[in-house]
Amino acid sequence: MDDLLEDAEDAVRLVRGTLRRGETGEVLRERRRTLSWTATEAGLGSVHAATEGGTAIRIRRSRELLLVARSGAGPEALREVLRGAARRTGGSPFLKAPRPSRAEESSARGEEARDEETAALLSAALSHAFHDPRGLSVSLVVRRVSTARAVISSRAAVPCGMSERLEATGTLSRPGGRRPFSFQSSRRGADAFEALSAALAEAARPRTVLPPPSGPLDVVLSPAASAVFWHEAVGHMLEADGVSGGGSVLARVVGAAVAPPGIDVWDEPSRDDLPGAYAYDDEGTLAEAVPLVEDGVVRGLLTDRRSAGAESNGHGRAADWREAPRTRMSNLVVRPGAATADDLLERCGEGLVVHAVSAGAADPESGRFYLVVEEAQLVRRSRAGPNVSRFVLSGDVLAALSGLDPERGDTAAPGTGLSICVKGSSALAVGGAAPSVLVRGLVARGAPQ
Amino acid sequence: MTAAATSGSSTGLPREDRLFDELFAAASEGERGPVSGAEVYERRGSVLSLSEDEDGLRVEESIERGFAVRLFHSGRVGFAASGPSEAPGLVRRARGLLPRSRARRGARPASPLAGEPQGLSPLPPPPGPDEARADDLRTAFRRALAEAGHGTVVVREMTVTVGQRRERIATTSGRAASWGTGAASLVATVVGRGPTGRFSARVLATASAPERIPIARLARLAADRVLLPTQGRQAPSGRFDLLVDPHVAAHLLGRLASLFFGDSEEALLDARTRGGRDPFAATVLTLADAPGAPGGPVDTARDGEGTPQGRTVLVADGRLAARLTDVAAAARAGVPPSGNAVRRSWTEPPAIGVTNFHVDPAGGVSPLDLLGRVSRGVYAAVLLERPDVDLQADRFRAVTAGWAVERGRASAKLSGIVLEGRLSEFLRSISALGDDLKFVAGAGGGVGSPTLLVPRWKLP
Repeated sequence: MDDLLEDAEDAVRLVRGTLRRGETGEVLRERRRTLSWTATEAGLGSVHAATEGGTAIRIRRSRELLLVARSGAGPEALREVLRGAARRTGGSPFLKAPRPSRAEESSARGEEARDEETAALLSAALSHAFHDPRGLSVSLVVRRVSTARAVISSRAAVPCGMSERLEATGTLSRPGGRRPFSFQSSRRGADAFEALSAALAEAARPRTVLPPPSGPLDVVLSPAASAVFWHEAVGHMLEADGVSGGGSVLARVVGAAVAPPGIDVWDEPSRDDLPGAYAYDDEGTLAEAVPLVEDGVVRGLLTDRRSAGAESNGHGRAADWREAPRTRMSNLVVRPGAATADDLLERCGEGLVVHAVSAGAADPESGRFYLVVEEAQLVRRSRAGPNVSRFVLSGDVLAALSGLDPERGDTAAPGTGLSICVKGSSALAVGGAAPSVLVRGLVARGAPQ
Repeated sequence: MTAAATSGSSTGLPREDRLFDELFAAASEGERGPVSGAEVYERRGSVLSLSEDEDGLRVEESIERGFAVRLFHSGRVGFAASGPSEAPGLVRRARGLLPRSRARRGARPASPLAGEPQGLSPLPPPPGPDEARADDLRTAFRRALAEAGHGTVVVREMTVTVGQRRERIATTSGRAASWGTGAASLVATVVGRGPTGRFSARVLATASAPERIPIARLARLAADRVLLPTQGRQAPSGRFDLLVDPHVAAHLLGRLASLFFGDSEEALLDARTRGGRDPFAATVLTLADAPGAPGGPVDTARDGEGTPQGRTVLVADGRLAARLTDVAAAARAGVPPSGNAVRRSWTEPPAIGVTNFHVDPAGGVSPLDLLGRVSRGVYAAVLLERPDVDLQADRFRAVTAGWAVERGRASAKLSGIVLEGRLSEFLRSISALGDDLKFVAGAGGGVGSPTLLVPRWKLP
């Protein structure tokens, strides 16, 4: 996985020779290994391994972008994409045959030993989570994904680093209901499996549930739920693509106070304890932490080279080598406050406390967003009471931010339920860490009962 | 079968073109060891995407090639996939995974079916996508949207993708086949500006070829999707005759597809039908899966295991009839495979999925006839959110927009029409179908339905 830049000098020279006056661009190389298991409440099922590599050149000229991509992450694939690009742009760079590349026969034995260890950890995590599987039916796919990327520009070759994450998606069913489950962690080794086991055990816990209330409510969002709220309601609204066409309701009010003083929201690619971390983005730009909201005021936008040229703040991200980068979040981090969970329940009085959100979406034009709530409790007289069944929580971004209680939780915990973010049809890993917050006036409406 | 028997002598071919035969030879050798069968698969694909937004135009061209090996032994399966550069290690990798996989009855490499045509030619690169056709689609959609939205709806972002792929497969049980398929899609985010605000919506259409994308219908849907929520009044509550547009019905009924994936949901189907004594749905409802169904986005000749595909009737006149199967599920059920092993990508093993899963419109009447039967009702025309369907709990909920219907005529625009309740009750309450079968992308393939009439459904 670490040989993506073995021909760095040659590759930079070739990229420089391909780009013409008025053009900017770079090459992305990616190699990805995925080991997947199917799993049920009885343990592991089938296991699959896949390795794929790809190379793509992106060439920008004025308002146009050309991407040419081919299988393979070695010198020959680089030459193929440059030939493909030259054919499209009318150029004909002189491409000598590459030096024979190092044999790519993988270090199979080391990998198999590692697979064995991972399978053992996963098996232990499942048996710990489902120690009493009576009445429970589980269907999961668990993946360990390792990705290495490098970007080659006309000036330098930059290793974007190697990331590894553990993902799990599927359903847990008990008589009378099925709930979706998603999880991801960028923690290393046994820590990731322990976190998965804890999340599965919590999701599998039988609950007696009441129907959810309907209508406007005051809602305490736990750190896990809060991370999804900020991601949908603020993060996506401040991604720069589309701003020239009017942008989102938040992008239209940069400089305005939209939330109570003290609210700070940053996108932090350097938080390597969170799944969206990277050092350089997929365009080779050094990733910057970007303040989106500071002291309640909308400050900035996340940008890539297409939206900001050389001023990109390093948020051009691509799901894989086949796609052109777009402006995307990395890890959305909200600074904690000083309130305890009890303080927030006290301030809520009557309403709901939301523990887990399985999905969300936002419409940048109207500012409306919704969250699918999987786990929540009624709050009565400032105490968390009975569980309620799945429901949809919706709101308007500007109204929700202005309805935020100025107090917020004293811990910004990583949102493990914040999994893969899909924008357009492009899915990539993101992270978030946020404290509990109290949002007034969100609207609850029942999902299937 | 030997490698030479699958594709003839491969000497003299470039290294990448010899890989398939080399893999097959290496996998076949395993038959002498702890492997009882093997399958080798190759895919070559080319895709071209044209995207436009306020920031300009993007052209993305991607060509890829991948190999996959499945080894079988005593119900266990080892699967490994890679691009050409790491393919020589695939058999060894799959063999390493084989003992860690749990055994499942029926797992085996595919054999040729009786009368099945056999033939495995070397896999040539797929033809280049038709860029001019893709560009025409962009223009046509803009024009159709301007017309459908009367100038108040604009495209914020649009991507047209056209692609071709070629696949081949060989198994040690004697299957040897190669085939090609095409695909096209149009995805657009549109913005509508109405008296009560701005809405955006994302619409998608897929087809087996660019010229089969229903541009005019997609444009009308996009316009309704962003204009109705800003123009309609809140839907009334109470019991109403419900007309469900094919677009809404397809998304809703498409969620039933997983019930028919092999034997995975037998217990649930048994519970819903009291062991087959009760009907699954109203007698007017026949559910089928068929590649090449008229208007369906999937038009393939073989599935991901190389099995020839055909039409499978899953629910006939309201009663359960058959299941979608791959080789393993068919072996467990003792029936021929239905050809529904889908490879979403060459990096994943085949799994049971749909081609064009749809409500058979045979016996349906024109949608205008259905409208004429409604004296006091609601027409649910567009979905505003992804429908929420819980098959386990037998409940569904879909938020839609549309029109009120009085004496057989559409009257006021409505937004926020919530369809919810017991799914089994909804299925058994359908009293009539339209003859206007239409498909949308869903369930990993295509899902389709004509207009449905459900009398006296309770709106919350």
